[in-house]
Amino acid sequence: MDAAERDLLGQSLRKIMTSTVAGPALDGELAELGWPELLAELPEVAVPLVFGLLGETGTVASVLNDVVLAAAGQEIGGTPSLPYAGGRWLVWARDVEPPAGAGVESTGPTGAFAVLDPALPLRQVDAGEPLTEVALAAGRRALGWWLVGSGRAMLTLAREHALARAQFGKPIASFQAVRHKLAETLVALDGAEATLLLASDDFSSLLAKAAAGQAALTAAKHCQQVLAGIGYTTEHDLHRHIERVLVLDGLLGSTKELTKQIGATLRRDRVAPRYAHLL
Amino acid sequence: MNVSEFRTGLRAWLEDNDLTPGPDGSLAGQVEQLGRVRRALFDAGWMRYGWPEHVGGLGGPAVLRAVLGEEIASRELAPPNFYALIEVLVPTMIDYARPELAAEMVPRLLGGAEQWCQGFSEPGSGSDLASLSTKAEQRGDTWVVNGQKVWTSLAQFAQRCVLLTRTGPGHGGITAFFLDMDTPGITVRPILAMHGEEEFCEVFFDDVVIPADRMLGKVGDGWAVAGSVLPFERSTSFWHRINHLYARFDHLLAEAIDPDEAALGATYLGLHTARCRSHGTQLRFGEGLPLGPETSVDKVLLGTSEQHLYDAVRELLPGAVELADSQWRPEYLYSRAATIYGGSSEIQRNIIARRLLGLGKE
Repeated sequence: MDAAERDLLGQSLRKIMTSTVAGPALDGELAELGWPELLAELPEVAVPLVFGLLGETGTVASVLNDVVLAAAGQEIGGTPSLPYAGGRWLVWARDVEPPAGAGVESTGPTGAFAVLDPALPLRQVDAGEPLTEVALAAGRRALGWWLVGSGRAMLTLAREHALARAQFGKPIASFQAVRHKLAETLVALDGAEATLLLASDDFSSLLAKAAAGQAALTAAKHCQQVLAGIGYTTEHDLHRHIERVLVLDGLLGSTKELTKQIGATLRRDRVAPRYAHLL
Repeated sequence: MNVSEFRTGLRAWLEDNDLTPGPDGSLAGQVEQLGRVRRALFDAGWMRYGWPEHVGGLGGPAVLRAVLGEEIASRELAPPNFYALIEVLVPTMIDYARPELAAEMVPRLLGGAEQWCQGFSEPGSGSDLASLSTKAEQRGDTWVVNGQKVWTSLAQFAQRCVLLTRTGPGHGGITAFFLDMDTPGITVRPILAMHGEEEFCEVFFDDVVIPADRMLGKVGDGWAVAGSVLPFERSTSFWHRINHLYARFDHLLAEAIDPDEAALGATYLGLHTARCRSHGTQLRFGEGLPLGPETSVDKVLLGTSEQHLYDAVRELLPGAVELADSQWRPEYLYSRAATIYGGSSEIQRNIIARRLLGLGKE
């Protein structure tokens, strides 16, 4: 697939994601666009595009299930148990309509427990079948792209606000304290994206998920501060992205857990692996 | 010669030719080691790849220089703070010096016969480099320089200097020269830095006469000269630094007393992120694409990850920095400057905000 075709696919995906209701309807539209075939034949193109755009547009589809299943060599369409931070297990339901105008008052789509982000149809289960390393790695890469996409959505919102909001007679974007927070956000997101672009094997995928989670949490922190009062209300979209990255960070291992796992691996091997080679 | 042939050949050569530094860790000893490494690599041809034939190179893509830097850094053969200086000196000569001057001088630097320095910063012009005031006045076929530079690395060892001077108002009033350091009127005063070495100097210019044919570019090209080194600093030079930090991280892994896995993991993640980002920059550079403000992201990641690494060193090797006269101490202290030199992190964030995020003027 060349760059022009990829751009075209990206445009189609963005259109679907911004015009279709999240959840089963979006799953259907993605299937119609050829998601199963793309995942089978061109995952290295399809996964960054689809998951990055889920983040940027703020919508939700259940495609993480497919990524994990396909990597495990299983039929897509099912709902594998997914490990979550703290040793919990979740299932990403496919048939749940997202709550209308999902807000903080919602208790989550299943009612079984309250998900911070009510648009995510997650259900807790007692225990699950451990995923293969390959499946975990594929899922982590996908979530990494989603987290970075959400981070970019937050940065866009904060940037627009900083330029539009005037205090002391000038846009708050002119204050260095504000500018530097947004610059730091871009540094974190671009750095995380670089790790995702080079994520291939199990360990580099784990690294990329950790970097993406950290970048998304950095974006949440800085953008919330820049958006200040309006960003704290449910009338502004920021809160949806913040809630989303907090939940996605824990899926398939949180930044904190993965970082510790990185350290344990390094301590065991006593040598730092070098990825990203000049060829 | 492609990268894999180059790397294979170089590795085999390094196996057979021991360039391990001797016991003299003093600054003079490090400079001597640097000369030794350059000389040996130049004579064997490795140092000449990636540079054009007309300055004594053997041609080939610039990425070969990055690979050489990586192999040198991974083996800790050359002082990491100085090895990559060639990347900010030689391209200037290629782009702005008279061809005969570049052809005569560049091999002396690459071949380890000489050290050169870069006279940019001044007491009154740090982050705001364009405000520099060291004055150059035309007198017949010569220019006469008066003023002061500071933070000039290795000036006391240097035979030549790439010097920025003021010849008129504003950005267009800066002019660059290639100066012999033994010219009368130059006084070098090393500054003892916090890490215990006299690496940086003050350089005073008192009626220093420079022949007009030592001008780099034309009158008023100085700001462009200063900017032209950026792509090299941010690609080949950074790659060398990152590989040096990986080598030091391996030492930390081997020596760490405190088994704090979270700290080790976070430190490595920072290095890995900087490396992946820099890798993308190397690729774009290799494709001939221009490097611009987006490399400020690389600079922030590199400086931050370097400090993170040495913070971890201090925490996981308790006392290694404070109570032992080990290599870790000067390295730890030097890392404090990683977010200051070469354009502070604040300046980088200003560039990111203005030029990448489009936040307008401050």
